[in-house]
Amino acid sequence: MKKTIVILVSSALLIVVLFPFVWMLYTAFKPPGTGLIFSLKTGFTLENFRKVLFEYNFLKYFKNSFIVAFFAATFSTLFAAMAAYAFAKKRFFLKDALFWTFIASMMVPGLLYVIPQFLVVYRFGWMNTYQGMIVPHLANVFGLFVLTQFAREVPDALLEAARIDGASDLKIFTSIMLPLMLPIVATVYLLNFQFHWSNFLWQLIVAQTDKMYTVPVGLAMFKNSHQEAYTLEMAASSLSIVPIGILFIFAQRYFIEGITQGAVKG
Amino acid sequence: MNDNLREQISSYIYISPFLIIFLVFIGFPFLYAFYLSFHQVTSLRDVFGGLQFVGLKNYWLILKDPKFHWALIATLYYAVLIIPLNIAFSLLLASLMRIPFKLNSAFRTGFFLPFVLDAFVVGIVWTFLLSGRFGIITNILRPFISEGIYRQGFLGTPATVMPSVATAMVLKGAGFGMVLYLAAMQNIPKEIYEAASIDGASGFKRFFYVTLPLLKPVTTFLVITGFIGAISAFAEFYAMTGGGPTIRVFGVPQGMTKVTGLYLFDFIQTLKLGKAAALAFILLVITLSISLFYAKLQKGK
Repeated sequence: MKKTIVILVSSALLIVVLFPFVWMLYTAFKPPGTGLIFSLKTGFTLENFRKVLFEYNFLKYFKNSFIVAFFAATFSTLFAAMAAYAFAKKRFFLKDALFWTFIASMMVPGLLYVIPQFLVVYRFGWMNTYQGMIVPHLANVFGLFVLTQFAREVPDALLEAARIDGASDLKIFTSIMLPLMLPIVATVYLLNFQFHWSNFLWQLIVAQTDKMYTVPVGLAMFKNSHQEAYTLEMAASSLSIVPIGILFIFAQRYFIEGITQGAVKG
Repeated sequence: MNDNLREQISSYIYISPFLIIFLVFIGFPFLYAFYLSFHQVTSLRDVFGGLQFVGLKNYWLILKDPKFHWALIATLYYAVLIIPLNIAFSLLLASLMRIPFKLNSAFRTGFFLPFVLDAFVVGIVWTFLLSGRFGIITNILRPFISEGIYRQGFLGTPATVMPSVATAMVLKGAGFGMVLYLAAMQNIPKEIYEAASIDGASGFKRFFYVTLPLLKPVTTFLVITGFIGAISAFAEFYAMTGGGPTIRVFGVPQGMTKVTGLYLFDFIQTLKLGKAAALAFILLVITLSISLFYAKLQKGK
């Protein structure tokens, strides 16, 4: 009895939470111009997707989003893992001072960095380029923090044994540290990918021409120039939401673990 | 000695990619923003050279700007709406999801899913749902709302715009609070509940006198991050309201939802970079005060 009520209430709430996305998809598959007619009889079509992808360049925006998220996630995770190895297992000059400076920078809201980062990117001549969109965010402090915590758990004896066997430092990093850290590396990678896929403000500033827009930026521009093209708007929104949604469903364990760890420890 | 030197060098090789990016794109920008906040940009062609020292003028101009005061009020209003709503909804979800039933994990996935989605795009979808005359939610709720709301939509009406944005963002983000509450609930020993039951505490009493106090660390965390999130909220307002609709406060026109994030974006867009930097530091001081207050609360226990 109690369980039935719980399931009923949960189902009702789940409908409320997911309704916007169901409606988005429903509208995205409706024939153009029928976005505001609430009926299942309007039919089903892929026309909106064809239009946004090929006539309104969203194929290019999608590609840009993917390039930015993929390279940013790959390099920021790699750099963080390398640094985490040094911070967890090596002794060096200024180690603690550097680590705490990094951690302290997490307290500062991202908005503060936007203006001077924009100036640096402008000075480098990186406006409207992939490197301008990617490189400024490759020092991922949150990732460094989580990975360092994890790298500390790798037993020193293991590294020592490899060293005695004559393994080089690089070999120890690539064939012992990285494989052992794989689950947490995957977590950091996914969180970075998700962050860069939806990092709206920065891409809005750096991407200045149609050629470089990511999906959300392209959507913002599309919305400004096409009032009430709802079916197209929802098809474009789906292009941004569905890939991350699918990624999440398949890898949710890693997502949730990373997010809660960050919250508990940070 | 030789070994030590080698260790030093190899360590710095491992941290150098991270360190260099950090110095160029986080460390330097932080210091430069501070420097910039005391200057006025005189030549946009040379944003590093064309600067004129103006002392505290940028700070002063912002602190006495009625638009800034309004931005703080709007942000506070948003925070006061979204924080309790978010906590209540997260707690409700966690309480339901704590009970094991078939498909429980599928439900958890569904509740958490919107949290990982892009705030801007989710905002666009909600704008569509809430629009006047044609929005599906506007039509579903038509019997309960005034003709004015029906015509202008929830986001075009000053009284409903902020609650609408807050509701949309709570439905998007409560899965995060749910996961944190669930983790904390698992750590509550069963014996405490048994003892409370023996003492004759009903379900509701157990919830308010046993569960809630033990979940206080999570609640405090959600309150603090809620405030910080409200101060840097940008994408959801950019997507859903653009700062509007316009209202008059003491005869001065103000954007009902022109929160601090949008107020800062205005400076960036008009390239008033000195003022933008000064505002960013004012917001940093507010954020740090809240975080320090939080740290003190944690220590107090």
